[in-house]
Amino acid sequence: MGIASRNHVTVTGNPQGRPVVLAHGFGCDQNMWRLTVPALADDHRVVLFDYVGSGRSDASAFSEERYSSLEGYARDVVEVCEALDLRDAVFVGHSVSAMTGVLAAAEAPERIGALVMVAPSPRYIDDEGYRGGFSAEDIDELLASLEANYLGWSAAMAPLIMGNADRPELGDELKNSFCATDPDMARVFARTTFLSDSRDDLKSVTVPTLVLECTQDVIAPREVGAFVHAAIHGSTLVTLDATGHCPHLSAPDATNRAITDFLASL
Amino acid sequence: MSPLNITTRDAGTGPVLEISGELDYANVSALQKRLDGLTLRQGQRLVLDMRGLEFCDSSGITALLAARGRAEAVQAEIALAAVPANTLRVLRIVGLDQIFTIHPDSETATRP
Amino acid sequence: MMCRADQHPEPQDADAEKVADAAAFAALLEDGAEDLYENAPCGYLSTLMDGTIAKINTTLLHWLGLERDEVVGRMRFTDLLTVGGKLYHETHFAPLLSMQSEISGIALDLKQTGGGRIPVLVSSAVKHGTTGQPLMIRTTVFDARDRRAYEEELLRRREAAEEARRRAEADRTRLQEALAVLQQSLLPDTLPEVPGVRTAAHYHTASPDRLGGDFYDVFAIDGKRFGFFLGDVCGKGPQAAALTSLTRYTLRAAALHDPDPVSALTTLNRVLHERYTGSGDPRYCTAVYGTLEPDPGTGTLAVHLASGGHPPAVVLRADGTADFLPTPGGLLVGILPTARFTTATTVLGPGDTLLLYTDGLTEARTGQDRTGLYGDEALLAFLTAHAGRPPHSVIEALTGLLDSFGDGLDDDTALLAIGVPTADDPRTRNER
Repeated sequence: MGIASRNHVTVTGNPQGRPVVLAHGFGCDQNMWRLTVPALADDHRVVLFDYVGSGRSDASAFSEERYSSLEGYARDVVEVCEALDLRDAVFVGHSVSAMTGVLAAAEAPERIGALVMVAPSPRYIDDEGYRGGFSAEDIDELLASLEANYLGWSAAMAPLIMGNADRPELGDELKNSFCATDPDMARVFARTTFLSDSRDDLKSVTVPTLVLECTQDVIAPREVGAFVHAAIHGSTLVTLDATGHCPHLSAPDATNRAITDFLASL
Repeated sequence: MSPLNITTRDAGTGPVLEISGELDYANVSALQKRLDGLTLRQGQRLVLDMRGLEFCDSSGITALLAARGRAEAVQAEIALAAVPANTLRVLRIVGLDQIFTIHPDSETATRP
Repeated sequence: MMCRADQHPEPQDADAEKVADAAAFAALLEDGAEDLYENAPCGYLSTLMDGTIAKINTTLLHWLGLERDEVVGRMRFTDLLTVGGKLYHETHFAPLLSMQSEISGIALDLKQTGGGRIPVLVSSAVKHGTTGQPLMIRTTVFDARDRRAYEEELLRRREAAEEARRRAEADRTRLQEALAVLQQSLLPDTLPEVPGVRTAAHYHTASPDRLGGDFYDVFAIDGKRFGFFLGDVCGKGPQAAALTSLTRYTLRAAALHDPDPVSALTTLNRVLHERYTGSGDPRYCTAVYGTLEPDPGTGTLAVHLASGGHPPAVVLRADGTADFLPTPGGLLVGILPTARFTTATTVLGPGDTLLLYTDGLTEARTGQDRTGLYGDEALLAFLTAHAGRPPHSVIEALTGLLDSFGDGLDDDTALLAIGVPTADDPRTRNER
């Protein structure tokens, strides 16, 4: 099967422009970038995709073993870049995907020439001399929340009971709610995301890097933004006056301006 | 395939089991059960009337041997009646035509 | 309204009553909007786009155990949630709300001041201004304690069922592996080389769950002679497998003591009869047992065999003919204390093949409706067409025939072919 359909790859924008790859984080899918794409489309070739196990990716390609480490997700990024033969692309990753981009850039340096890290965190759990914002128990709670909502969502409940084969339209409905994935795959992604520790990988970054953080973000607090900025030599830190973990949705204009300014500076 | 059908009647000589349909691995236990529930006394003759038997495999052969064992245990006789050609062929292959008394029909088989 | 059956109301009384009812109804309605908001059986919440709480109803404050002035303008919606809920809110709820402008029925937990938590179902909608810009988020919160307890029970049951299924699957795999090993132990791994003779065999297993009861073997007796046998025990499953094992080893031991075919079957008969008589579970088998004696001088092979209740073997001749080697009157082995067995002999020349088979082959059901049996005549015709071929080629053709029966073949079937190669046969090894 082709990578393009496996990762539901969408290519838009200016075919002559420098490629920009937009990578969603844990939770939703490439639709998260709907307010970002218009700001980039004129001057850049914009590549969107869903990680295997998210959005409209091919669920049959999912392997718990591969996606139990961030390297598995980074393989998805590299394989998408290879399939489109992208060179010197700018990789824009949200949340955990910012770290996936770091790993992908180290694995395929000719493919990725710059990084934009939106609300990144290299480690979510507190550690000695490091505040990630969460304890291990908190992560268990999130996993329980995922379970609860698998049942809580009536749209998710129906196919569980009836089986998708009889009512395929229910499956479609489910896909249309962008953040609904198979709970087993979501659990793997959640575990991989929140139990990962990529702090040491930050030092490997040699490409121009923009770090975007929000003033109020419970998932990636400002200490974490400062940590990432300090660990990546020569990186630029921009603090957006935004609340929450998704500035590209809650403060799209400021986010787009920061990204396009960075792209213009390259 | 025809289902197995077993009816029991009493002749002057003892019980007569009329077995029709197909006797194989899947339904042989029905015949076994019928044999187990049978009242058979010393000196009586148990007759298995096989006129309607369309098929009999090795499981059926086992059932016939079990019936013979049951008759022997109470010192009763056992006889087969109206054995169809294909079953007779199987009985010959396994040598049972030598150890069972075989009658052309149940009328002959139930003569004292 | 109650019916006053004991007296007739005056008309003017009824009118007055209607007026009073209408007034009470109006009063209820007038009071409704504000009171309903504050004391509705669900929580209401309005927040700015950044989540800051601007308005909250009494019901929700009561659930949280908070005072209004602690909350309004001071807390965000996510502050009311457990940590897991916060994460879920940031990764799912907020993005979905942002993309769809509304979201409904999300299961979250509220923190209470006492440290408790209330499972709730949350729905939110964005209110937009006249130019379409988002102004605020309206949220309703439903108490879901009972429902969530029920759902958790469902989840637990689902997990338990999953676990049970996984365990059953593992048990089944283990059992099938054990059965396969047992089944293998009932058959020879390879047939031994017999000088100047070719052999080939095939075993068809009807069901991996039902241990089969067919068996065969070829083995050396002394410097000149080899023994062979093939047969079928009654029944299926573990008891049949035990009987097969007893039969196989008894025949091999008996052959070493006295290789004469009738003598070997007689020993087997005595062993089986003693073992199973009086056990309440009489068991028996059919078997062909024989010896092979190559004559290096003539290049032929002398075959002596005896049959106990087994279908007749077939001899395929190099000249393209095939015939049964009849053994009528041989009795099933093990049913009587003494039994008669029937012998037959033949000499195989170059290009001749002796075929032994169990009745799975001849009793395979054929035809569209599976009512016919394959039978002796069809088998003889099939083998005549393959006469002159070496053993492995005959077995190959029969294996294809068995496959063609599909679900018409519901019994185990064993095949053993023994032949003398022609002078131009380039092969020097025996085939299995």
